[in-house]
Amino acid sequence: MEKKKDVILPSYWYVISKNGILFIFLLLCILLSIITPGFLSWANILNVLRQSSIIGIMAIGTTFVIIGGGFDISVGSILVLTAAMCVGLQYKVHWVIAILIVLIIGALIGLINGFLAAKIHIPAIIATLGTMTIVRGLAYLYTGGYPLYVEAPDFAYIGTGYLGPIPFPVVLLVIMVALWQFVLEKTRFGRYACALGGNKEAARLSGVKVDYFHILTFVVGGLMAAMSGVVYASRLLSVTPLAGQGYELDAIASTVIGGTSVSGGEGSVVRTLVGVLLLTIIANVFNLMGIHIYVQYVVKGAIILSAVGFDTYSKFGQ
Amino acid sequence: MHALVGENGAGKSTLIKLVVGAYKRDSGEIYFDEQKVEFTSPAQAFQNGLSVIYQENSLIPQLTVIHNIFLGVEYFTSLGILDENKIFQQYLAITKQLGFELPPYEKVRNLGVAEQKLVEILKALIHKAKFIIMDEPTASLSENEIEHLFRIIAELKSKGISILYITHLLGEVFKIADRITVLRDGKKINTVPVRDVDRDKVITMMVGESLKNAYTSTCLERKKSEKVVLKVENLKRKPRVKDISFIAFAGEVLGITGLRGAGKTELSRLLFGADKLEGGSIIIDQKQLRFTSPRDAVNYGISMVPEDRKKDALILMLEMYKNITLPTLEQFTNRGIISSSKEFAATRKAVEKLNIKSSGMKQITKYLSGGNQQKVAISKWLQAEPKVLIMDEPTQGIDVKAKIEVYNIVRKLAESGVCIIFISSEVSEVLIVSDRVLVLSNGEIIGEFKNGASQEEVMRMILKGSK
Repeated sequence: MEKKKDVILPSYWYVISKNGILFIFLLLCILLSIITPGFLSWANILNVLRQSSIIGIMAIGTTFVIIGGGFDISVGSILVLTAAMCVGLQYKVHWVIAILIVLIIGALIGLINGFLAAKIHIPAIIATLGTMTIVRGLAYLYTGGYPLYVEAPDFAYIGTGYLGPIPFPVVLLVIMVALWQFVLEKTRFGRYACALGGNKEAARLSGVKVDYFHILTFVVGGLMAAMSGVVYASRLLSVTPLAGQGYELDAIASTVIGGTSVSGGEGSVVRTLVGVLLLTIIANVFNLMGIHIYVQYVVKGAIILSAVGFDTYSKFGQ
Repeated sequence: MHALVGENGAGKSTLIKLVVGAYKRDSGEIYFDEQKVEFTSPAQAFQNGLSVIYQENSLIPQLTVIHNIFLGVEYFTSLGILDENKIFQQYLAITKQLGFELPPYEKVRNLGVAEQKLVEILKALIHKAKFIIMDEPTASLSENEIEHLFRIIAELKSKGISILYITHLLGEVFKIADRITVLRDGKKINTVPVRDVDRDKVITMMVGESLKNAYTSTCLERKKSEKVVLKVENLKRKPRVKDISFIAFAGEVLGITGLRGAGKTELSRLLFGADKLEGGSIIIDQKQLRFTSPRDAVNYGISMVPEDRKKDALILMLEMYKNITLPTLEQFTNRGIISSSKEFAATRKAVEKLNIKSSGMKQITKYLSGGNQQKVAISKWLQAEPKVLIMDEPTQGIDVKAKIEVYNIVRKLAESGVCIIFISSEVSEVLIVSDRVLVLSNGEIIGEFKNGASQEEVMRMILKGSK
């Protein structure tokens, strides 16, 4: 009896639920390359990656927030405000400075989100619902409701340029994923984020400054949303205050499809990227096959439900 | 009216859970109303007339008294609408019968603890309970409220309802019970009519020899340290910690015991900065501490292994080694980057030192057995090299073998100079591991024993303190 208790199952459900998304993704790619001619062409692959870059960068931040046990639906609004300011500020300052300013603004909004959630104890989804509305309003105020344009070839490089054969936004995405995956795995911040998302009270009683690190996850969320705003602005060189609506949902969907636990504590930036690619590919294939966009919503929703359902149901079983 | 008594950990609560089907039993049979029954859930037992009133109440705080009582047996009019009138009539009938009244449309969260207990009793009666189990119903009641409760219990008895009354407060038992069953270490010691025994006899039955056989104390004459490492003065935090002062020496195991609700856990949380002090001071190495968080406590050299290891001590979904290195992660970093090899080295050391059994350092903590989880919860503090290590019920829910291992770890740590505050409601184990024992009752220290005191002495002190 005693022995049996000590030796424990490595739980292959756990392994599958952690990496299942990769298998599904690879399977889908193989399947699609067979039925859709042109899917595996270099041009199409780059296209998919480029389309993924904005949501991908945003979803990195979302991953940190969700791992830390939070939720952030304000990132779509942060994208539009920072994109608009990034364009608007260039009338007055150099584009590099404009970028720096909006990154700081994104981080500051994240700081406010984190403060509201961790210190004032507003449930994160409600706190960020509030800031989402406020920030969207600020975007309207800043733009006056009209699109802003800028002509800046240097600035445009971020969103449209190429580094060798590879689009720059894709390079940026890959670097960011690598960087933040490293932060998640190899720094105290990453470890503490997992710990406090897994069990905040236990983390606190282990001497972790939980509020500080909880807030920090939101700061990363805001910062990465601002970075995606910069890429957005640079790609289009024009921003309307309507932009970025629903982006937060795509970012959250990618994160949970990537296997990050909805209740926090575990997750991976790389797998979030796979989640982003999966959603983009589905959209891409539907376009290639000429299926109406309305169908895409239905399919996307079904995928989110199955991914999250798998996670929650397998946990409930234990 | 049957009373079930026994020390903490004697198996009272487990027995109840087996009876109503909250736990699955390994073997044995249960007969209810002369029929063999097989309850698979408390809800099923409840429907069959067997109600349990737990220590923590199971009411829905946002609902009114009357809606709580009738939850699950609502009456409907022919239109399918709730028949409030009929419910109210029934409510009046039953309260009149029992001779007490509650505000029927008050929300339950606005009631006192005692009144909530009454609501639970009413609920059981409305659900046609024939047998009511009460698990320490007086735990948080005042004298007056207890008197009131006893009157109602007498009333129920006269109506032919059987009551199983679980407690470790012997005074109550002699007031109201007809028969007493004593449990110890999961076994029935005896069932006797109340009039045939006195208090002393029952205490002897409760205490027994229990753990002493399993563990021969290693507390030989040790070189006593004279260095006071921890000094606590007039600690206060309402309602559970009223006024606590004591000192503890380096290398000493200071046991603190008392009944559930005496303030032990609350005291440990205060010492660790998990809750805010309302008064008093904590002095370590002659330095007065000013802390606002567990982080500060750790920096001052205080560590704590909390009572509820799943809720407060461990992050179950994380790998074992991550739990072990969590409190001291800064020791495992190089310019801010975590070094896995350092982490693994420390984990290996901890695994060896505490004999932690797992399938590997990366095993998810959730899948470790209770005893091994507890060892992880202890080992995470070793790297912090605390001066004072507080352990709150460190052997709760683990098997005898693991318990003995924990005792050995405690002794070993103490020998290396750590001051250990060993908090436990199991008197036998406190006596085994401690150099000195403090008895806590109602948020105050009511007695102190040196190593070598008998279990009976300590038990008597504890029970005396509790009315």
